[in-house]
Amino acid sequence: MPHLLALIALLPLVGFLLNGIFATEIGGRRASNGMASIIGCGFPLAAFALTIAAFLQLKAGGYAPIVEPLYQWAVIGERTFDVAFYFDRLSAIMTLVVTGVGSVIHIYSTGYMHEDKSFGRFFAYLNLFLFFMLLLVLGRSMLVLFVGWEGVGLASYLLIGFWFDELANAKAGKKAFITNRIGDAGFLLGMFLLYRACGTLDMATISTMFSGVSGTVPLVSASLVGLLLFVGATGKSAQIPLYVWLPDAMAGPTPVSALIHAATMVTAGVYLVARMSGVFTQAPEASQVMAVIGVATAFFAATIALVQTDIKKVLAYSTVSQLGFMFLALGVGAYGVAIFHVVTHAFFKACLFLGAGSVIHALGGEQDIRKMGGLRKKIPLTFWTFVIATAAIAGIPGLAGFFSKDEILWYAFSSQSGGSPWLWAVAALTALMTAFYMFRLLWLTFLGPSRMDHDVEHHVHESPLSMTGVLMLLALLSAIGGYISIPHFLESQLPLPRVVESLEHYEHTLLYVSIALAFAGLGLAAFLYSGPSSRPEGLKQSLLPVHRLLSGKYFVDELYERTLSRPLVWISENVLLRGSDRAVLDGALNGIAALAQQTASVLGKVQTGSLHTYALFVVVGIVGALVWSWRHV
Amino acid sequence: MLVMREPMRVALALITTMIMLGGIYGLLGVHFIAAFQILIYVGAVMVFMVYVIMLLELREASGSQRYSRLLVPGVGACALLVGALGVSVSTRADAFVPNAGAPAFSLSQFSSEFLSRYWLEFELTSVLLVAAIVAALAVIKVSRRAQGIAQTIAQDKTLG
Amino acid sequence: MDKISLLLWLSGALFSLGLLGVIVRRNALVMLMCMELMLNGVNLSLVTFSHQRGDAAGAVLVFLVFVVATAEIALAIPIVLLLVRHKRSMDIARFSDLKG
Repeated sequence: MPHLLALIALLPLVGFLLNGIFATEIGGRRASNGMASIIGCGFPLAAFALTIAAFLQLKAGGYAPIVEPLYQWAVIGERTFDVAFYFDRLSAIMTLVVTGVGSVIHIYSTGYMHEDKSFGRFFAYLNLFLFFMLLLVLGRSMLVLFVGWEGVGLASYLLIGFWFDELANAKAGKKAFITNRIGDAGFLLGMFLLYRACGTLDMATISTMFSGVSGTVPLVSASLVGLLLFVGATGKSAQIPLYVWLPDAMAGPTPVSALIHAATMVTAGVYLVARMSGVFTQAPEASQVMAVIGVATAFFAATIALVQTDIKKVLAYSTVSQLGFMFLALGVGAYGVAIFHVVTHAFFKACLFLGAGSVIHALGGEQDIRKMGGLRKKIPLTFWTFVIATAAIAGIPGLAGFFSKDEILWYAFSSQSGGSPWLWAVAALTALMTAFYMFRLLWLTFLGPSRMDHDVEHHVHESPLSMTGVLMLLALLSAIGGYISIPHFLESQLPLPRVVESLEHYEHTLLYVSIALAFAGLGLAAFLYSGPSSRPEGLKQSLLPVHRLLSGKYFVDELYERTLSRPLVWISENVLLRGSDRAVLDGALNGIAALAQQTASVLGKVQTGSLHTYALFVVVGIVGALVWSWRHV
Repeated sequence: MLVMREPMRVALALITTMIMLGGIYGLLGVHFIAAFQILIYVGAVMVFMVYVIMLLELREASGSQRYSRLLVPGVGACALLVGALGVSVSTRADAFVPNAGAPAFSLSQFSSEFLSRYWLEFELTSVLLVAAIVAALAVIKVSRRAQGIAQTIAQDKTLG
Repeated sequence: MDKISLLLWLSGALFSLGLLGVIVRRNALVMLMCMELMLNGVNLSLVTFSHQRGDAAGAVLVFLVFVVATAEIALAIPIVLLLVRHKRSMDIARFSDLKG
């Protein structure tokens, strides 16, 4: 089928335009909510169906990458920039996840956003996001990827600030976009260096050039490029130091948090690094930095998640932490394993976020877990799906998260390209904390005595089928998704790193340690939270300063505000506004005008209004003309 | 003429000058132009000027100045002008085409050429005279209107 | 100096004196009369050239100048009258409304 990939990307765009025009104020709200739902969910589902078709086509072709040029974007001198699509194993997996999980989240949204007044606008923005995300994962050159990169940033901004009537939501959207842009500066620099060194932005070509197979190795430091690209990834995928936008992004509707900030957009950075693996395998310094920052972020975010009281914030910091795991895997060369974790994370994190959405919906908007509890019997479907997803993320054996996380831990320990016991130790500690805080969340939300407000408790009801159906599907995937052996599927493209031989026999030991850690987290949470509330309270009191530091999120936001925002605002106000704009620019223009005016007033003195003077000038003119005529006539 | 105080005396001096010029034209042989000079210039233009001077009954107050501020620069500039004109005339004398001994042309020759070869100038004169009449009418109308407005203002003042 | 040159010198002198009168005198009517003097000077030069060449072209132009001068005086004097009535003075140096 011609233009199959282009269709996959463009179908959501059509959905965006249709919904955007007819279901919003622009078109006078002609389409009803039902119509908007059909358009909004239909196009992504169609894209998913086409993705499956593309995958089958890929498989039939022996997994040779499908290249689909679309059109020539720009010709500058002798250089051309094309828009083309590329489909190989990595793209296939990412596209399947994006369209699949995306479609089911769209279906969930029809239930969740049912009473919202901007129903049509929501679906329009969601479809727009899907379009850009598909551009990102299907693009052949870094240029198309960057268009998608920026586009998802835009969609994220629009969706975080969806309820922009509240100033805090608008500010959160702004923060996300600006933080992303800071990372994009690094991305752009990396892209420029690559273009100069390789003469092309085609990612497959760049990877082969760097791996030295084609003969000419580009004359640029792979580590420098790798670091710059990683800076871009930090912005998009919320690593230290640019993670600060993700917790604030919870101001958006919960399906947005599920789709963008758990399953797809934040994994764009991981995808980028995996795609450019050819560069990173030649860049040991950059990879080491990536691994260290990844594991540090994972640890850091997990500590904050231990004490959060908003259900979505716990999940947000959990996302940051899991992303750290993915970058740890990328840093030690296990690119395929990182993508595996992307997929399993998409399943269970989306299930967790959507489950949280279901809880919030049931409680009529309450998000503080200190005011929840005792929901197990009241909303059983939500409860059981949440349990499965929590077990998956904690690494309980048999479920999806266990497989991917265990592989990451193994390679962190034993990879020849950067693994070390220290990385493993910090990661294992983070895994323990992950299990603990997730089960803490489960206990405080669903189990134990009810701490809900009385009138909230009366209205607790199970969510409609559009929401619970999706939850069940995602829970199922969280359970069995681990058996799809993605690292081996990707191995021909993204080879697994070599393992240090002396450490090979530790593999089973570490496996048992992982299992032990998962159950230890479960046990600790059960101990603290299933008993009387004095136990966690007592623990908190004894470690009060630590607790304060963690609840204040290490005061990073305040630090940024003090060191970055305020000086910038001061500079803008004084140097740029008063200094350059008013003094220099306005002064120059006004000065020119004043100069013209003064010249005019000086010259205007010729017009004395006295006829005698004019007559004198006439005489002088005649004499001059006569004298001139002697010479020239 | 330039140095006399009363404008009446200046007008008489000018009339004298014009009559003398008429005489010069006559001596040059163009009698009809001499006639026109006396008839039109002296007989119409200067008479009009004398009439206006008498109408306004101008008396120069003894303290008023005769000359403007630009007396000295004016004299200097005009001396230069005379010099320049004279030099132009004398140094380029050979560019003239002398028609030595040609008879002075007659009135009939002038009339026939005026109406045939220079008919454009003839028509232009008529156009110019029409324009002058129209302009004169316009001036009358404006001044009448200004007078009427002044009258009504004066009436309002006396009545009100 | 022959006749033609003398007459041309005379016409130049008449013209310059007329122009000097315009620059120097303050009375509006006297200025107009000096302008008439200028026109006469021009007439003389035209007649002189016409006499020199034996051509009627100069005479035709003189005729035109007559007409123009008449029309000009017919209109200029009333305008000066109106101005004088408005400003209540004959002094040109006071008429500086067009200044600047």
